Amino acid sequence: MEKILGKTKIDDWVAALSDHPQEVGRGCKAAEAATTTHWQVSAPVLEDGIWSYQSGSGSVQLEHSNTTQPPKGFSFPQREVFFSFEQIKGEPPKLTQKLPQATRHAVFGVRPCDGCGAVRMDKVFSDHVADTYYTARRSNVAYVGLACNQPQGINCFCLSVGGSPVSSDGMDVLMTDLGDRYFVAAVTDTGKALMAAGNSVFSEPTAADRKQLQQTHAEAIAQPQRAINNLDAAPAKLKASFDSPLWEELARACIGCGVCTFLCPTCHCFDINDENTSATPIKGNRVRTWDNCQFPDFTMHTSGHNPRESLGSRLRQRVSHKFQYFHENFGMPQCTGCGRCITECSVGIDIVNVVNKVAEHAG
Amino acid sequence: MPDNIYLPELARIAHIKEEISGERAIKTYRVEPVNGGGFEHNCGQCAMLSIFGRGEMMISIASSPLITEYKQFSVMRVGRVSAAFHELDVGDVIGIRGPYGNSFPVDDWRGKNLVFIGGGVGLAPIWPVITTAVAQRADFKNISVFYGARSPRDLMYKAELERLRGDADIQLSVDKAEEGWKEFCGFVPANVLDKKPSPNNTIAITCGPPIMIKFVIQNLQQLGFADEQIYTTIENKMKCGLGKCGRCNVGKDYVCTKGPVYSWAQLKQLPEEY
Ligand SMILES: Cc1cc2nc3c(=O)[nH]c(=O)nc-3n(C[C@H](O)[C@H](O)[C@H](O)COP(=O)(O)OP(=O)(O)OC[C@H]3O[C@@H](n4cnc5c(N)ncnc54)[C@H](O)[C@@H]3O)c2cc1C
Ligand code: SF4
Ligand code: SF4
Ligand code: FES
Repeated sequence: MEKILGKTKIDDWVAALSDHPQEVGRGCKAAEAATTTHWQVSAPVLEDGIWSYQSGSGSVQLEHSNTTQPPKGFSFPQREVFFSFEQIKGEPPKLTQKLPQATRHAVFGVRPCDGCGAVRMDKVFSDHVADTYYTARRSNVAYVGLACNQPQGINCFCLSVGGSPVSSDGMDVLMTDLGDRYFVAAVTDTGKALMAAGNSVFSEPTAADRKQLQQTHAEAIAQPQRAINNLDAAPAKLKASFDSPLWEELARACIGCGVCTFLCPTCHCFDINDENTSATPIKGNRVRTWDNCQFPDFTMHTSGHNPRESLGSRLRQRVSHKFQYFHENFGMPQCTGCGRCITECSVGIDIVNVVNKVAEHAG
Repeated sequence: MPDNIYLPELARIAHIKEEISGERAIKTYRVEPVNGGGFEHNCGQCAMLSIFGRGEMMISIASSPLITEYKQFSVMRVGRVSAAFHELDVGDVIGIRGPYGNSFPVDDWRGKNLVFIGGGVGLAPIWPVITTAVAQRADFKNISVFYGARSPRDLMYKAELERLRGDADIQLSVDKAEEGWKEFCGFVPANVLDKKPSPNNTIAITCGPPIMIKFVIQNLQQLGFADEQIYTTIENKMKCGLGKCGRCNVGKDYVCTKGPVYSWAQLKQLPEEY
């Protein structure tokens, strides 16, 4: 399904989605579907100097560079409760599962690197055994993506990591900016349903629209970007560089803040802890929160022994996971070239430089 | 796998035995499923035990898969959850999910000699293999167990080890000599070198502190053991047990799903990150 949407009509589409009773959703059980009639639409919003995806009032604005926070939180929130417990000593506890509500999120303005991020997250959370909570949320999240006619920042490098500024990977719908209108293409059945809900806000594309789309995409792909020099060689080069002294040198400035991974669209590490609200009886919640491989205690045993004690060993883990281990497990890099970890690092640690430099020194 | 992979089943503490007291106290627990649940396991697998309000910890299942009424765990008191464990009484109800990880390929070892080498609480992960092999004694040739700790007071499963004598050759050691100690005095790897088990048709299984494992492997190699004949386990920090939380990896392997059991031939292919 391919349509044209006048830029002034985007709010009409959003309104139609928010009102539209939606019977089918990807993986959505019948019982849940009956209670869910709307898509909750989210789009980039600037708040406290940070661009993130939020729902709510106001018209949808897509004319901005990529968000500071990736949209991964719709499927993998920063904090979520697994279950609550209540127990009197010596008796079985009462456990109450907190399975995610079946709210359907249509996320507008997702950029191709973040669509590719969702593809990576899906792999992790479905490999070996499906993650109960991620799967439940993810089945109710749809990405209405927006191709990048220009790189969104000086640190974009999607083309060199197997992506593209016009990629529809991980999207349900991909829109392309054609000046005063968007070219809107459904990618999945969910995307078709989203577009069908908009119905009369769209018009049929003309031959001229299609021609302009092709030209826009061709120009987008031709825009200069930064680059990982040789992606295919990276896994072997990194493997050969495990003991390289370069890691400590490159990591020396790191203050271990973890911004690079919290803001990464593919980073999935988490912690599980009990948060208590009462001591007798024991009451509280078992909670999952994002965690971070750049923190020293991430891998530290209780004995104090730490397999990744130094800054260098932790930088090596972040970079090797993205460009070697993930490749070995899933046949693709775990980095989608969004550039956030470079732009947001306060001390200038730059994953493109790191990979290129380590590879160069590996010979 | 259950519907909700993070929701533990409930289990009741049926029996508690204090193995070692003091600073590095160890207690052994038998737990039984509440409401007839429970799961089967293989030698070497682990389970995530919960104390509600404290959290979870990964512990090796220390009982043989042949025992189905209960599962045994030996827990060293080290931090938040393990300390709370040491406060438990018989009858208390905990959470349990698992089993996690791969297992020792015990079936491939039938007809062979087995040499077990454990240190400290590292006897627990190999205990299911030892007791399974002894229960199926006719299937195996010589069975020997090297086990050591800092002092005689730090040896766990003492009575159980004594009961194995006859079925297995038991070689105990302590790091420092003490009045009345009649067996080997010195580190576990040195005891192995002293007794010189033959590598001929033999599998060596070792578990203990990383530094002990390192020297055990060196000494086994010196005795002529090939890398494929040596098995050990890795205990990286774990949270999920399911290959999701990203914490326990050694190179590309999440130890919670690909390990914890490795032959030395497999392990030496991986980066040394454990
Ligand atoms: C595969 C495997 C098998 C194990 N078998 C046993 C056993 O049979 N007996 C035994 O006493 N111990 C065993 N351990 C170690 C045990 O898991 C830790 O001692 C325990 O998690 C410490 O938790 P804590 O809350 O008491 O300590 P804290 O330091 O307060 O723990 C905080 C958190 O860190 C984690 N953690 C800290 N250290 C470790 C560690 N070394 N390994 C894993 N997670 C850690 C825990 O998940 C815990 O939630 C095993 C570990 C692994 C990975
Ligand atoms: S953002 Fe920069 S300083 Fe912070 S942990 Fe990452 S590399 Fe280190
Ligand atoms: S590693 Fe950095 S550039 Fe790559 S996807 Fe993550 S945040 Fe973006
Ligand atoms: S314990 Fe979470 S990935 Fe292994």
